[in-house]
Amino acid sequence: MMNAHSSHYSREIRVAWAIAVKDMRTYYTKPPSLMFGILFPFSLFLSFSIGTKAPLAAQIPILVSQTLFFASSSIGPVVIPTERANQTFDRFLTSPVSLLSILMGKTLAGIIYGAGISVIPVLVGMAFFGFQIISLGALFACFLLSSLAFSALGIMFASIPGQTPGQVMMPLNFVRIPLLFISGVYTPIRDLPTWMQAVSMLSPLTHTVELARYASGGETFFGPILNVTILTIYVATFLLMGIRFHIMNQRKE
Amino acid sequence: MPLESAIEVSNLTKYYGDLCAVDHVNFEVKKGEIFGFLGPNGAGKTTTIRMLTGISIPTEGTANIMGYDIQRHPIKAKEQMGIVPDVSNVYNELSAWDNLIFTGKLYDMPKTSRESRAEELLKMFGLYERRKEKVQGFSRGMKRRICIAMALMNRSGILFLDEPTSGLDVQSVLIIRDLIRNLNQQGLTIFLTTHNIDEASQMCDRVAIINHGKIVAIDTPEKLKRTLESLQSIEVAFETAPPNALKELEKLAEVSEVVKEGDKFRFFTRDPPTVLDSLWKYSQDNNLKLTTVNTVGPSLEDVFVKLTGIRPATAEEESGKSGRSEEQEMVHRRRKQ
Repeated sequence: MMNAHSSHYSREIRVAWAIAVKDMRTYYTKPPSLMFGILFPFSLFLSFSIGTKAPLAAQIPILVSQTLFFASSSIGPVVIPTERANQTFDRFLTSPVSLLSILMGKTLAGIIYGAGISVIPVLVGMAFFGFQIISLGALFACFLLSSLAFSALGIMFASIPGQTPGQVMMPLNFVRIPLLFISGVYTPIRDLPTWMQAVSMLSPLTHTVELARYASGGETFFGPILNVTILTIYVATFLLMGIRFHIMNQRKE
Repeated sequence: MPLESAIEVSNLTKYYGDLCAVDHVNFEVKKGEIFGFLGPNGAGKTTTIRMLTGISIPTEGTANIMGYDIQRHPIKAKEQMGIVPDVSNVYNELSAWDNLIFTGKLYDMPKTSRESRAEELLKMFGLYERRKEKVQGFSRGMKRRICIAMALMNRSGILFLDEPTSGLDVQSVLIIRDLIRNLNQQGLTIFLTTHNIDEASQMCDRVAIINHGKIVAIDTPEKLKRTLESLQSIEVAFETAPPNALKELEKLAEVSEVVKEGDKFRFFTRDPPTVLDSLWKYSQDNNLKLTTVNTVGPSLEDVFVKLTGIRPATAEEESGKSGRSEEQEMVHRRRKQ
């Protein structure tokens, strides 16, 4: 019985990984992935950072958080509507694999995309701009939990039954862009009014920014334990809601 | 006791809001059969196949695939089947080889067996030489073949084909029909949805006709044709037909309907010998020379029209689509008769 279970789980993991690898090969270089995953966060960063007096090394946590946020959450909304339009998503649904594994494969593709892009500013910052990592554990937690939460957020939004990435990206951006302004990305949380600080605590991006700052020795408002806890709650929430919404879609099919 | 049914469907129902797309459908497909699922557009064919293959969740009812309930044991049920949807859902960005290998991975096939199976199938479909090319450059017929090859990767017992030859050129249609027959001869159960009545009549052991979400008939094509004795007909051509012939011919005894089809007249009747006698007399009385006389049994198309009230694409339209030559069409019609 135990063997049957472990072989079932290992099979699901293998299939999820195969789906993730296929998505990486197929969708990472698609224009919407590049546009919303790379160009968008870098442009936003440049438009806000040019002219600020803060040293570049201090701004790297902001860029890392933004790329984690946008890149990780963009893969699901690019992949799933495109596959729905080509009916290749049906191929997964007719394969002997659970919906959970299909969505985990898609989530994994988002995690690797987000984390892979976000590690570049860290490495460039360390090599050329004196950026330092004080807590490798905090950086690891920041990358892992944030890319997982944001990728799951993208998968959850991809349950919107659209057939083009734009149909999912538009409502997703209604959530993503306002979060930039309440998450301490450009305005420190301590400078926000009290009610905004409470709202800010509810934003997952706040905790990504805080963990990235903490990892590089910067100040944090909520502290790493709360950051990790809240991000973990968001990971579970987005994953469960994403699966729930996709099952609801299947009922409507 | 060995399982005899490949597919067992009981009260399968699907509602979209208030609209009932599939209404308490019941049928059984035996192992080794080619089972045709025939119906006009919007009748519920694709919705049924989507429920049988696990894409869509039924509102009510059950479907067992090789004994496994698709809802309760979806993984086991899906292991038993290969699916060719109405659209060739291949990964255009991947090569032919990678499409097959990825399918093998979805079925968790070991590396060596998925590679040997992919090679075998690509050779079988005449695409091995082009295995490294991206599928986006392939013709529609080639993509269809890749799609079928992907459905065969896991050596399943049942193959679902949704309109497999729709929109293809005549060569691809013939290749795919031969392939389906060969696969069936090797023991594969085939579930085929089509709106092409010729295809169903030529290929299927049994046919179910679905209309407005309900199964209106289910039997072998020949038995279905025999249920419509009133649709027996006689086809007649005169060397020169008088202009008012149609009106006069309608008055002949035992003729229920006369239809002019090109230079021929088709008489629908329950009693062909009496009509033949009357026709002979009519031609003698009017000094007309009969050039063609054929008795024609009801076709599956007649059964379909009678049961659904919908006239599907005619043979001429189908041949136009398939690019059949006039000569091929003649042979084809003779075979039908």
